[in-house]
Amino acid sequence: MTKCLIVDDSATVRRIIRGMLEGFGFSCDEAADGQIALDYCRKGMPDFIMLDWNMPVMNGIEFLRHFNQEPKSKNPAVIFCTTESDSSFIQEALSEGASEYVMKPFDKEVIGLKLVQLGILDESAFEEAGA
Amino acid sequence: MDDIIAEFLAETNESLAELDNYIVLLEQNPDDINLVTKIFRVMHTIKGTCGFLGLPRLERVAHKSEDILGLVRDGRLHVQPVHVTLILEALDTIKTIIGGLERQGSEPAGSDADLINRLEAAYAAVEGGAGAVPPPIAPATPENEAVAPVAAAASKAEFPAAQDHPVAEAVAPAGENAPAAPAESGVASQTLRVQVEVLEDLMTMVSELVLTRNQLLQILRQQNQTEFSAPLQRLNLVVSELQEGVMKTRMQPIGNAWSKLPRIIRDISQELGKKIDLEMHGQETELDRQVLEMIKDPLTHMIRNSADHGLETPEERVAAGKPAAGKIRLNACHEGGHIIIQIADDGRGLPLEKIKAKIIQNGLASEADVAAMSPQTIYQYIFKAGFSTADKVTAVSGRGVGMDVVRTNIENIGGSIELRSQEGQGTFFTIKIPLTLAIVSALIVGVQGERFAIPQLSVSELVMVNGHGGPVVEMINNAPVFRLRDRLLPLVDMAQMLGLKPGAASADDCRYIVVSKIGSYDFGMIVDRVFDTEEIVVKPVSALLKNLHVFSGNTILGDGQVIMILDPAGILRVIGMEDAAEQIGSTVGKEADTLAGQVKETSLLLFMAGNQNLRAVPLDGISRLEDADYSDVEYADGQMVIQYRDALMPLYTCEGIDVSAHKSGQAHIIVFPQNGKPAGLLVDKILDICNYRGDIDMGGSGPVLGSVIINAQATDIINIDWFERGRQGARSGYATAQPPGKNGGHTYSNGNGQSLPRKHGERYPYAGHEGDADLQHSVNH
Repeated sequence: MTKCLIVDDSATVRRIIRGMLEGFGFSCDEAADGQIALDYCRKGMPDFIMLDWNMPVMNGIEFLRHFNQEPKSKNPAVIFCTTESDSSFIQEALSEGASEYVMKPFDKEVIGLKLVQLGILDESAFEEAGA
Repeated sequence: MDDIIAEFLAETNESLAELDNYIVLLEQNPDDINLVTKIFRVMHTIKGTCGFLGLPRLERVAHKSEDILGLVRDGRLHVQPVHVTLILEALDTIKTIIGGLERQGSEPAGSDADLINRLEAAYAAVEGGAGAVPPPIAPATPENEAVAPVAAAASKAEFPAAQDHPVAEAVAPAGENAPAAPAESGVASQTLRVQVEVLEDLMTMVSELVLTRNQLLQILRQQNQTEFSAPLQRLNLVVSELQEGVMKTRMQPIGNAWSKLPRIIRDISQELGKKIDLEMHGQETELDRQVLEMIKDPLTHMIRNSADHGLETPEERVAAGKPAAGKIRLNACHEGGHIIIQIADDGRGLPLEKIKAKIIQNGLASEADVAAMSPQTIYQYIFKAGFSTADKVTAVSGRGVGMDVVRTNIENIGGSIELRSQEGQGTFFTIKIPLTLAIVSALIVGVQGERFAIPQLSVSELVMVNGHGGPVVEMINNAPVFRLRDRLLPLVDMAQMLGLKPGAASADDCRYIVVSKIGSYDFGMIVDRVFDTEEIVVKPVSALLKNLHVFSGNTILGDGQVIMILDPAGILRVIGMEDAAEQIGSTVGKEADTLAGQVKETSLLLFMAGNQNLRAVPLDGISRLEDADYSDVEYADGQMVIQYRDALMPLYTCEGIDVSAHKSGQAHIIVFPQNGKPAGLLVDKILDICNYRGDIDMGGSGPVLGSVIINAQATDIINIDWFERGRQGARSGYATAQPPGKNGGHTYSNGNGQSLPRKHGERYPYAGHEGDADLQHSVNH
């Protein structure tokens, strides 16, 4: 099963995103900040990561920098999630190796389409989930 | 979606509580980038989450606040009180909206246009001034508002700049970043939200388990070695651990109850123009959440009181030689099975005279009673319902509802509150509360064959009485008392109180006194037997028995018997009221006086006079101590006098002093008021001041009020009022002058100056006055 790591400091946001992704048939784990996410990845890479920018302890950009240094068996896609007031970081995130970005708040359809574009989600599964 | 909203509410409420404090801290340390970053992030998270949940009103307020905080974080705005006030106002609005959301499940209707405008204006003031970006479209309509040119304003160059100072983030809420031991499902889920009811149920079941365990152990004790012994011991251990574990889930740091205080103090200081430093120590001290809930409001109330009434304005403080900023100190720590919470301020202290006046005005005690009370006793009145000495009622406090509620709440959970105060120096409250209420250690006692439990917390000692040759219970005015280390302890005969038998016990029975301390009052309960202590599970009394204040609950003992738990505070209330009703005609609020009367503390001045006899006078009856020389003592028509403050002061002596033996040498004089003029008592040696607990009024109207035991020595209490009356008696009765010390039949030479009134009437006006209304010490109470 495709596994996603959701990195966000808000439990509510994690839960919402989890709801959307599980609707597509992914399994999800959560991390409350960049450091926890990094520790998680060192134990076993997920298939893709939903990454928030503004978090305590270690923010999204810092996570990306560390994450790039990690030896990886597979290269998970990183989808950078920002609010409009963080939008100035999109360029930076992409140059640090984020695969995609998505503007918060997003809905199931927006994230579904991004995942289809990234080849993580089958178009048929996307249709089926009826977002 | 509903439970997501619920989760959001829980999460946001937690963050908001933190935020209040952070912002108050920020005002004090406007350059703390670490703090700004934290505040910014909390606001940012609220905004971001709102977007997902479709809460536009909340999102907008959070967004605009975040913009201001962004400027602060980027160092473009130096925080001023006006900004803090604005942000706090935004927080209040957020709380209001959250509150509405909690109640009705959707954002309440309403407009925040005014607040948004001001937030935007504050933002524009910086942005506009910097000339970087044109000020955002001013009058906010929801449409042109949502998407922000504002966002771009936080220019790319500056954000990373802030990030370049890697800020050591303080450890966030417990658990969240505990040493990473990621569970299979979800790295973040190391803390868990659990419904309170689930914990309560769990607690109840553990309680039942403890009871059953106790029963099993009881059975086991009666058996010899059986095959059940080993597994039962194991069960015993496991249950104990389980109980401890479940208790732990209910523990919360007391800091949770304090989190709102910095904000409250800030608001009060702004409103009243005071400078207040709030110091908090021991926030991490944990206690049962049930207890925490019950002390939250009392604590808040007391802090408000301290800030409003306790602390002076900066001008007053400076005038009194204190630093302009007042200090309120809050401290919590564990002590045995208790939590001790101390609240201290360095303000003006309790106004003793004002309280006295108020006591009299409210008819709680007579003027004479008040005059005889110790400051401690007088301070206790602030815990009476409707008692406020505040000159004006402010929005903050001073409405006379409060301290009585505070005390009631604290006593309801088996706690006590004490206070010390020094005018001009400050006030110091000490609250003592049990860690938990669910399972308590109790002393099991027997009264007339029935067993009762008394919570250990309220038992201070046990005394065996009426044994052979041991101490005995005495009767004063038909009330049993016990002499415990030189003080009189009022007693309650539990058999009588519980109606288990009519009246007196046979004097030889060996019985026990359970000494209990409630607030500042000590009293004893007479019981027949003392068994052992046991962990009991408190079950509330049934509604039918609710009106019986002597019981606080019931429990099941190890042997399966259901017994009642006695409530010492309730017993005190019950006897107090009855006594008051009998003696003074019941006025609500008399109960404490009655008890205070029984264990009244009197300060005595000890001295030696005549034949090395130890004597004492009540300290509140005297005004000064003076040294003089015997050569200065003169006689005016047989009355011994001395020049004192440009007048002649009459001198009296106790039996056995031969003044004529001293031609010179140092004399000690106790000066006391006599009809408003000073009079003196000549003594050999002033020894000490001591506090005597107990009633010393033994009805004496003669020269000796009574005798008490002080330091194992019989001590006569001298009745200084008597000198006046004695004089009057002498005046009418005798016509011959005698030198002092020779009127053999009298115990006291009282300067029988019978010829004075006629000859020196003007010079000794006090000699002819009637009554002793001016004397502070009242003989009969």
